[in-house]
Amino acid sequence: MLEINFEVAEKVIVGFIRDSIQKNNFKNGILGVSGGLDSAVVLALTRKALGKDHSLGLLMPYQSSSPESLTHGKMICDQFGVKYEVIDISPAVNAYFDQYPTNNRILIGNKCARERMSVLYDFSIRKKALVIGTSNKSELLIGYSTLFGDSAAAFFPLGDLYKTQIFDFASYLKIPEAIINKKPSADLWKDQTDEKEIGVSYRELDEILYQLIDRRKKDKDIQKLGYPQEWIKKIKNLIVNSQFKRTMPPIPKLQNRTIGLEFRYLRDWNK
Amino acid sequence: MKVRGIQFSPVLGNLKRNMRYHCHQIDRAVEDKCQLIVFPELSMSGYHLKDIVYDVALNPASPEVKKLKDLSRGIDIVVGAPYEEIPGIIYNSALYFSKGDLRHVHRKVQLPNFGMFQEEMIFGAGDTFRSFKIKEFTVGLIICREILFPMHAYLYFLQGVDFLIGISNSPHRMLDKDHFKSLQLWENMGYVYSVFYHQHYVFMNRTGFEDGIGFPGGSFFARAGQGIVKRADCFEEDYLNFEVDLEAVRRARLGSNYLRDDKPRVILKELKRILNA
Repeated sequence: MLEINFEVAEKVIVGFIRDSIQKNNFKNGILGVSGGLDSAVVLALTRKALGKDHSLGLLMPYQSSSPESLTHGKMICDQFGVKYEVIDISPAVNAYFDQYPTNNRILIGNKCARERMSVLYDFSIRKKALVIGTSNKSELLIGYSTLFGDSAAAFFPLGDLYKTQIFDFASYLKIPEAIINKKPSADLWKDQTDEKEIGVSYRELDEILYQLIDRRKKDKDIQKLGYPQEWIKKIKNLIVNSQFKRTMPPIPKLQNRTIGLEFRYLRDWNK
Repeated sequence: MKVRGIQFSPVLGNLKRNMRYHCHQIDRAVEDKCQLIVFPELSMSGYHLKDIVYDVALNPASPEVKKLKDLSRGIDIVVGAPYEEIPGIIYNSALYFSKGDLRHVHRKVQLPNFGMFQEEMIFGAGDTFRSFKIKEFTVGLIICREILFPMHAYLYFLQGVDFLIGISNSPHRMLDKDHFKSLQLWENMGYVYSVFYHQHYVFMNRTGFEDGIGFPGGSFFARAGQGIVKRADCFEEDYLNFEVDLEAVRRARLGSNYLRDDKPRVILKELKRILNA
């Protein structure tokens, strides 16, 4: 995995957060703080970019969430002096599942992720704060996110950093060891870990992604680094099959200038 | 000649705000008795124009061009703009204003069209590298990716250019454990042009972000024969103040004799042979 200069990365990302907030005529940023690594790092960077009075964390536990997640979420907000609110999403989520019961963990997990998104965007207006996403490059590439759930945000400050790099970045930013050392988890059900779900460790996943994406290496070259072909194939399938999460929904072309084809503008248009 | 370079972040597609900023900086440079002010590539419009280009391209009758001509009675001005000199064809251009007139237009020849760059989609490509006289100086304009092809600056070298003005919108990329590798490319060329082509050379790059694509600035001035002698900040808006003079160019040429000893006809002969092979 490529080593990067975290001092430069911090400078760029902090500048990017500040620039994005200002361009969109906001002063404040808001993010969901899960108690995990990515949101802790984004919180630290947001605090540096906007200051403590313009940063807000939302802690949104569900009834099955680990109590440790809430503890770590509060701890990271306190460490960086960022205000936070705790909003229990259980009543809202359960109100739906009371009507449409299920034991399917994916359905419950997705519902929780979308409920958190819904709360974040509600608070975005209440607090005049732009929603900052916490997705990283590893998750974005393999589609390890809920569409319109945790994948919904105004921008992703960590979107060009692999999870493995974020571990080291977190140490550089003085994120507490307790958060860095615990197993990454979406905390959607008891004992869930990202690596168990994905089937390989982040270090292995990221090395394969780095070789495939950043270095455009062929399968046979990645195999020579010691990775089995079935892992490479699986990861390539995850990338291809999640492309829909990284693009705007297609539109059937009928007229002269179609949105996304001949109507092409950046988000930063006139900003 | 006292020169000021402006390293800043234009508003994407907002001519009015960018023009206001240019006017403000020009006024300040006049107050400070500068004789030339240089803005980065596409300073009037921003970089990732896509379909915005059709709404913001300047043309010879644009009020902004008229205004810049007027302002150039007090100071020479280099701006970057999408310029529709021929109706229907827009060029990524460097415009040099002087003494109330648009003195020279350089149309970018090397339009990057890979990765995050899509310039060929919206711009026509230029096909000349012509020097021009400003006061006692022979000046050349060069835009961004053209700088990375040393043969383009060589064409100016052959025309006896003393002061090469490079304007750029280079995004940072390829971060490793040291820094962005992309920054080093520009500095390497600055060294070559100043030391081997005996030119005063300024590289003015922009700052800011466009949809997450960051521009690091990192502008610099390389003095003829000496390499880089002044740098602007990285990632921040900044100024670059420096002076150019002919004596430094003369000394550099006398010291190395690269211009005297160059063999362009041999190069031409060999180019013909290679291209006709």
